[in-house]
Formats: sequence, structure tokens, C-alpha cells
Amino acid sequence: MISLRGISNRVLHAVDLDIRDGELLALVGPSGAGKTTLLNVAAGLVPYTGSVLFHNRPVDRLPPRRRDIGYVFQDLLLFPHLNVEQNLLLAMRRLGLNRTEKKERARRILESFRIDALRGRFPHELSGGEQQRVALARAVVARPKLLLLDEPFANLDFRTARYLRQELKKQQRRLGLTTLFVTHNLAEARELGDRIAVMQQGRVKQEGTIEEIWFQQELGEIGFLEKPNILTCSYAINLGNGLVEVGWAGTKLLVPDDGVSMERVAILPDEIYISTEKSMGPPINRFTGLVSDIIKSDGIVQVAVSVGDDILRVEMSPEHFLALNVTEGQQVHGILKLRALKGL
Amino acid sequence: MLRYIIWIPLVVVTLLVCSVLAALLFHVSPGDVWQALGSSETRFALRLSLATSVAAVALSLCLGVPSGYVLARRRFPAQALLDTLLDLPLVMTPLVAGIGILFLFGRDWLGGTLAELGVRLVFTPLGAVLAQTFIAVPIVIRSSRAAFEGVNRRFELAGQTLGLSAPEIFVRITLPLAWQGILTGAILAWARALGEFGATLMVAGATRFKTATLPVSVYLNISSGELGAAIACAWILLALGFVLLLAVKLLGRSRRTASASGGGGMLS
Repeated sequence: MISLRGISNRVLHAVDLDIRDGELLALVGPSGAGKTTLLNVAAGLVPYTGSVLFHNRPVDRLPPRRRDIGYVFQDLLLFPHLNVEQNLLLAMRRLGLNRTEKKERARRILESFRIDALRGRFPHELSGGEQQRVALARAVVARPKLLLLDEPFANLDFRTARYLRQELKKQQRRLGLTTLFVTHNLAEARELGDRIAVMQQGRVKQEGTIEEIWFQQELGEIGFLEKPNILTCSYAINLGNGLVEVGWAGTKLLVPDDGVSMERVAILPDEIYISTEKSMGPPINRFTGLVSDIIKSDGIVQVAVSVGDDILRVEMSPEHFLALNVTEGQQVHGILKLRALKGL
Repeated sequence: MLRYIIWIPLVVVTLLVCSVLAALLFHVSPGDVWQALGSSETRFALRLSLATSVAAVALSLCLGVPSGYVLARRRFPAQALLDTLLDLPLVMTPLVAGIGILFLFGRDWLGGTLAELGVRLVFTPLGAVLAQTFIAVPIVIRSSRAAFEGVNRRFELAGQTLGLSAPEIFVRITLPLAWQGILTGAILAWARALGEFGATLMVAGATRFKTATLPVSVYLNISSGELGAAIACAWILLALGFVLLLAVKLLGRSRRTASASGGGGMLS
């Protein structure tokens, strides 16, 4: 376990955080919250008070090069004068291997990232996604005790980022890398993080699995994360095929089985689709309700739909809202995206 | 019509430079120059010039590159003052610089001590090296400082997180990223050292077959009316200078195309 204990400096205020062995902890929060600073503290790149413990051993007096970390910076910092293989070889100097061993290791890691064909290329000859993978390969090639990732997918197009997120998760699992991952993208944090820590104004405000954090929010704690709809279930039957049937507002819903009791189910407002017409397709997770409120704010429209005794909050883009063309009091039909439902 | 007027000054300057070169070339008969080119005196001057200037550039690199690094990466009191002081040899009349070196290394001061150690600088080729270094080292300091300042320091941070020590980072990362800027400075310094006259004259003197570098040789031959020999030396100097300046230009071009992701800094 990697532990940060009472970390303070110009940006951070008494931060406590544990990263368990082999887990990916996603650090989310608005810009300026101190996420990158916390990474730099773990790396030893900035001054701080408090203590950083690697497996119960304080590393505060160790310079960055002795901390055994891998760091993927937001701007990647691949050395422009070295080709892909040379970038990796330079990262292995601390291992004390001979050249053949190092080359073999570089080859294996490049193969596992499916970039071995690029080994002779220079960084400026690579696409954004390729550079990303090289930076990741360079950071993990010496098997660091802690992998630090600072918004690694922020500068990539949507499709490349989605593909690389899956790739990262796979590699992180395969290599069992203890990872601290900084992002301001909530969807990314939810998709990648085994656990999530929410930072705000230099403090860790919440920590836990996404379900735990949602539940804490329901209890009224402060949160930076978007607020999900929490649906209270009247009953739950495990169907045994990876799905659980629950009762809600007089209808039945199918929810992926997470091995939890399903007293409540959570779904984010942008994972709910509504329409004025009953749409085609299998009648799973459908509902019908009345529009009770419409709130337009910058770049997003929130539509409140009353279903039975519950109110669902639905979010959509202004363009989508225009196309939908609904007014208050109108009846709408909706779908709750099955995979977006989470049992609590 | 108006759009062509802007070209006139450029044409004037070009004509002026070409005319001066032509005057140098055609003032004496090509036969005389050709004969002088092969003379032992010219060949000696060429060899001495090359040897002393190469030594001066090597010395300038040894002193100037680390100095440039410190000026680029460390902050200390009176830095601007020191910076200006180190630039002074660039604008100093070389003759004056030479007089200063002569006084410092003459009998009374440092020269006496060095003489006891068996090192003689004044009126020897070693003195020419010293004089040229004095003039060339500020160029190397300036260019390497700019080159180091142009290296993104975050690359050095990345090196730290990859487990590299400070010397490893300097040799493996910083220096390779700065080397084109440093090389440009070294070539300019070399060109300057080759053409150096005033300081060399004062420190090393003007003795044929002993301390006469190419520029000193031009001076000696003009004084004694041997125009052919003087022009021959002048032409060698011009040819070397042209080649070196061209090298700097080509280097700058290759850098512009290659530095897609943050290479060395340009010489201002």
C-alpha cells in the first residue's frame, strides 16, 4: 500500500490518501483542486510536509529518482532526440541490467502495448495515441512501485481516448500496477477507477467506490461529482443470469448484478432517454411519466419527469431538447440504459 | 513600381560587398596570388591559424558550455551584471583586449609566475590561443546559454522520475537537446578566432614563421608591400569564413525542420 499522510504545502491541506496494492485510484476534481500537485508530492518533485509511505516505509527523504515511480506527464515528455526504444532503454538504467536484457525487456513491453513496430521511430513521427502508449510503456518498463498518470488522455480525440482507456485498464490489471490516476473527466474516473477520490480546494473530500460516493452524496455530503438519480426498489430478485429484477414505481427494471443487495439503484441523469412517442424495441427498463419541470442552464437542459411517486432528473444537450420539443405537463416515454444502472 | 523600391537597399548592400570582394581579387594579378598561395610562408600561416583557432575553440567550449549552463539554470545575485561583463570582450576593441592580456601575462603579474613554471605565453603561439579564446569564449557562452534555456526543463523532471542522476540527465538529455545551438555557437566562435587580429598581434606578436597567423600575415605582407601574399592570405580567410557561415545557416535550417518537439534554443 502507498500512503499519503497529512500532506500539506502551498496547494494541499492535510491530505490523507491510501492507494491499495494493485488498484487504480482515480483522483478527480475541478482544475486547481491540487490533483497534479498531489502526484508531484508522491513523486517527490515538489516540497511538502507530512509523509509519503511506500509499503510502510517513508520515502520523504528520497529524491524522485530513488522513489521507484513511473510518471506519465500530461505533456508526455518523450525525449525528442531518442527513438522509442532508446526512450525505454533510458528508463531502465536504474535496473542494472545488461544491454541485451534491457533490449529484450523493451521488446516485450512494446509488444504488449502493440507498438513494437514503432521502436525505431522518433516521437515527432508518432500519432498522439502512439505517443501516449510509448509514454505509458516507458513509465512501466522498470516496474515501478507506483504509477502516476496525469490526465494522460486529455489531449486525444474521443475514440482514441476510449480505446486507450481500455488498454490502460487491461495493462494495469495484467501488471498489477498500483496506480494513481488524475483526471477531471468523471466518466473516465468511473470507467477506470477501482476507487475514486474527489479533491476540491486542496483537500480530499470523498473517497471510495463510485457507489459509496454516490451513497454518501445521498446522505447530503458535499460532492463535486454529478448527482445520480437514486431509485428506491420495492423488491429485488436475482435472475441468476447476471441480471437482477427490481421493482420501481410500479414497473420492473433489469439491473446488472454487482453482488449487492439492490435496495436502491442509481443512474446518472445523462443516461436516461426520453421521447414523446413510445419507441420500438424490447420493453425493458421503460417508464412513462409527466414532465414536471424544465431548467435550462449553460450548455445543458435538465428535465424533471415524475414517475409514480418519484422524480427522475434527465439531462440533455440544448439541441436534443429542441428536437424533443416537450413542455411542462406533457407525457413522455423513457428508457433507463441497462448498463448505466448501478445497484447500491 | 513601388513594390520594387523596397529592394533597392538590398541591391546596394549586395553590390557593395561584391565590389569589395572583387577589388580584393583583381587588385593584383591572379598569377601572383596563385604563386603566394603555394609559398611556405602562407602555408605556415594557414597551419598556425587552424591549429591556434581549433585550440581556442576547444578551450572556449570547455569553459563556455558549463558557464552557459550555470547562467541559464542558476539564479544568483548580480547575475545581470556578470552577464554584461562576460559580453564585454564581444564589443571590446581587440587591440585593447590584447594590451590587457599582455599586461596580465607580462613580466610583472601572472607572466612571472608562469615563467617560473616554464610556461611562456607572450610572443608565442600559445599567446595566440589565449588571445583568440578571450575573444571567442563569450560567443560560446551566449549561444550555449540560449541553447540550454531553450531546453524544456520538464524533460529533466521526466529524467528524474525515470531514475536518472543529475550527471546522467545532463549528458543523456540536456546536452543532446542543446547541442545544435552549442555547435552553432562553436562555429561562429571558430570563425571569429580565425579572423582575430588585434589581440593576437599584441599578445603573440608578428614574427614570420613563428606567430604569424593568417590575419597577421596579411598585415605583415601589406606592410612590406607584398600585395600578392597578403591577398592570398585574405582569400583563404574569406573562403574559410564563408564555409563556416554557410555551415551555420544549414545547421539552422536542419534544426527548424527537425525540432518538431522542443529541441535546442535558437541563437538570438
